Parts: sequence; structure tokens; C-alpha cells
Amino acid sequence: MNRLVRAELIKARASRATIALGAVAPVFCASWVVLQVIVPAASDADRVANVYNMAQQAYVFTMILGILGMAGEFRHRTITWSFLVTPRRGPVLAAKLIAYGLAGLVIAVLSAAATLVAGLVLLPANGHPALTSGVPAVLAGAVLSTTLYAPLGVALAVLVGSRVVAVVLAALLFMYGDGLLAWLAPEVFRWLPTGAARALGGMRAEGGALLPAWGGGLLFAGYVAVTALAARLLTLRRDVT
Amino acid sequence: MTSISVDHVSKTFGKVVAVDDLSFEAPAGAVTAFLGPNGAGKTTTLRVLLGLVTPTAGEATIGGAPYRELGRPLEHVGAVLESSGFHPGLTAATHLEAVRTAAGLAAARVGEVLDQVGLAGAAHRRTGGFSLGMRQRLALATALLGEPSALVLDEPANGLDPVGMRWLRGFLRAYAHDGNTVLISTHVLSEVERIADHVVIVSAGRLRWSGPPTAGSGLEDLYLEVAG
Ligand SMILES: Nc1ncnc2c1ncn2[C@@H]1O[C@H](COP(=O)(O)OP(=O)(O)OP(=O)(O)O)[C@@H](O)[C@H]1O
Ligand SMILES: [Mg+2]
Repeated sequence: MNRLVRAELIKARASRATIALGAVAPVFCASWVVLQVIVPAASDADRVANVYNMAQQAYVFTMILGILGMAGEFRHRTITWSFLVTPRRGPVLAAKLIAYGLAGLVIAVLSAAATLVAGLVLLPANGHPALTSGVPAVLAGAVLSTTLYAPLGVALAVLVGSRVVAVVLAALLFMYGDGLLAWLAPEVFRWLPTGAARALGGMRAEGGALLPAWGGGLLFAGYVAVTALAARLLTLRRDVT
Repeated sequence: MTSISVDHVSKTFGKVVAVDDLSFEAPAGAVTAFLGPNGAGKTTTLRVLLGLVTPTAGEATIGGAPYRELGRPLEHVGAVLESSGFHPGLTAATHLEAVRTAAGLAAARVGEVLDQVGLAGAAHRRTGGFSLGMRQRLALATALLGEPSALVLDEPANGLDPVGMRWLRGFLRAYAHDGNTVLISTHVLSEVERIADHVVIVSAGRLRWSGPPTAGSGLEDLYLEVAG
């Protein structure tokens, strides 16, 4: 098992997509901080929460990282080598989920660090308090949710099979579809994957209230686990031709 | 001794019958050539043998066990498949290092197989820029990583230059002579005549002929007669 995870990490580290996504995600989060510092906020506490919440924005990158890492195996037909080395496919998928969870964690931590630094610099510079006692929980939740999106991406790619379709589907589901539903039916949003992930990251919704962070975290982890399980059942049966 | 046995294997894809009740043996210490027209079911049979495709019926075994039940399979069987690929962003060495790590093999094997297939000079180039023959060499290198006692090769000579062909021929002969098993699918009958000890001819998924390469009438005539 350990060997398989290490092999996956060797491949992930050597891929330019991993490096690019890991480099862009922190910059992206810091850019969102700039915006949150200057837009109006109801209170100083709200502003501080909104600013550090931007660490969550890295989720797009970890999700795409997971999708590319898995879909690339199908696209480039490298999955054949993986299954030749390890004909029992469950461990192959598990190693992929764990390895990309670890890679996602690295990107999540870098992004949270960039968000923190940007907030600590920009908030005081604009005459706002730099921190509140809630900030560590917000950042920790953001790191956890951003990390979990990577194995979610891996599992989605297995289910969908195609890189392009998986990215488009993920964008529709997790970037726009959920947002639209949040607007149409705020009381349902908290039960959806995105609502759960946002709750884990300490976000306060404008419409219906989100679950508490721990509840959102458990629910989101449940969504990831169910998707991974479906992916496992599918990989185990599909012919590799 | 790792002999290969295909035992009443059938495989259908939807309505297409790719392999139809096919049985044959590839004994240890011999090169068995697996021949047949395009679409005859050779690749499908080899994929069934390697546990990548689940047969509709029958079973294929290597040294008596299905591939999926071999512990550390790379140390028993090396495989080159028609369309196995490489991540274009990885170098040859990184690809081999990842496979080696997953298989738990010694670190020195990467350099050894690169030398063996004549790819040492391109070890640190990304595979995205590799020529057809270079990819084929890298696939062979991957197959050899675990020092297996059986090789399953699907058109391995595809794209190899004359030097590569000669190397492969000499290598397979010596390898089989040492008691190892080679099952090789190819369309190059002249090569088969030079290296094969056994010939298996399939067409439309069914066995048409098997035996030693015929003296006298010539392999091409035989092939055209039974497979055409
Ligand atoms: N995944 C698949 N889905 C549907 N049909 C398939 C699939 N794989 C193979 N086939 C069909 O099964 C038959 C046998 O194909 P196969 O690739 O095994 O032939 P082959 O003997 O290797 O041919 P070639 O000499 O051209 O490589 C063909 O009719 C092919 O179209
Ligand atoms: Mg073929």
C-alpha cells in the first residue's frame, strides 16, 4: 500500500500540472483577499471572517488536480501499467486517493498560508483589525475542505472517465450548480456538497444558515466517501482495453 | 517453470465476439508466436491473460495461476501491450522509477533495463517527445523491470529499427533458451520463422492452427491457408 502511494507521489510530483496548480492556487486566494479587504462588510468581524475564508477558494485547484491525476491515467493509457503491477484494483484506487489527498493538503496549506499573509498585511494597511479569535478555525476548516476536494476529483474522474467531461461536470456541479441552488433554495444548499464544504471552512451563508463546521465537515467527507466507493466499484469491474 | 495456458477463453464486447472458445499453451523454454488477421482477437486474449479484461467464459493462467492471483506479478510476467502508454510529461527514468517503486523492486533495476533496451541516453527526456521505436523500447524496459520468467508481447517489434529488431530477436532467443516463456503476437512472419518454436494461428476469435513452424511449405502459405 505504502509502495503504491509513493509511486503515485513520484508521478504527481514529476507532472507539470501539479506544479502549476500548486503555484497558482495561493496567488488566486491572495487575490480574493484583496477584493474582500476593499468591499464593504457588515462589521469588522464579518470582514475578517470573509477575508480568511478565501483560503477555501483553492478548492478549484485541488479538485482539478485530482481529476487530472486520475483522468490522465486513462487518457495516456498508463492505467495499464498500474493494473499490471497491482492486479487487485482496490489498492490502486486507494493509493491514488491517498496520494492526491496528500498533494491536495500541500496545496491547501500553501493557499491558507498565502491567505493569512495577505490578510495580515492588507487588513491593517486599510485600517481594519488583522485577526479575530475565530481565524484559526476558519483556516483549519479551509485546509480540510480544500484537501478533500482532491480525492473527490480522483473519484469523479474514475466515474466519468474523460478528463474534459470530468472538469466540465465538476465545474457545473461544484462551482455553478450548487451556487444556483443556493440562490433558488437556500434551505437545501446546506445539505449539498458545496454547502457542507463551505460550512467546514467556516463560511456564513447569506441566505439559509449553513450547518455547524463539524457537521458540514462530516457531511462533506461523507459525500467524498460515497463518490470514492462508487469509483471503486466501477474500477473493479471495468475492462481495460 | 512458467508456462502459459489459455483454456476455453471467450470474450464478447456487446455483440462482437472477440475471442471464441480459444485454448492453447505457450510452454516454458520456447517462443510461441501468436498470429492472426487484424481483429482476430489476439490483443483481447493477451489482455484476458493479464487480468485487464474479464473473460466471458474460460480462464487463462500463468504458471498455473490467473494473473490476478500472482503475488508480485512483475516478477513472474513482463508485458508489452499494443497501446500501453506513458505520461508525456514524465521522463523515461521517472516512469520506470514509479513502476519500480509500486512493484517494490531494487532501485538499480531502472538503470539496468534502460541499458538493456538501449535507452540510457534518453533516460531523462520526457516521453512526450519519444519516437514510436523509443516508446516500444521503453515498454520493453518496463516489462523487464521485475526480471520475469515469462514475457507477453503484443507486436513488440512495431516501430523498432533494424538494430532494435536484431537485439530483440537475439534477446528473446536467449531468454527462451534459458527456460523462460515467450508469447508474442506479431504480423511479421519472417521474424516468426526465425525465432518461434511454436505457432498459434487464430482468426475471428477461434483457433485455426497450432504447431511448430512448418518446414517446407513455409509459414506464409500456411497462414494464408488457415487464417485467410
Ligand atoms: N473494448 C472493446 N469494445 C468493443 N469491441 C472491442 C473492444 N476491444 C476489442 N474489440 C473487438 O474485438 C475484436 C478483436 O480485437 P483485438 O484487438 O483483440 O484484435 P487483434 O487480433 O489484436 O487485431 P490486430 O492484429 O489488429 O491488433 C475486434 O473486432 C475488435 O473490434
Ligand atoms: Mg492487437
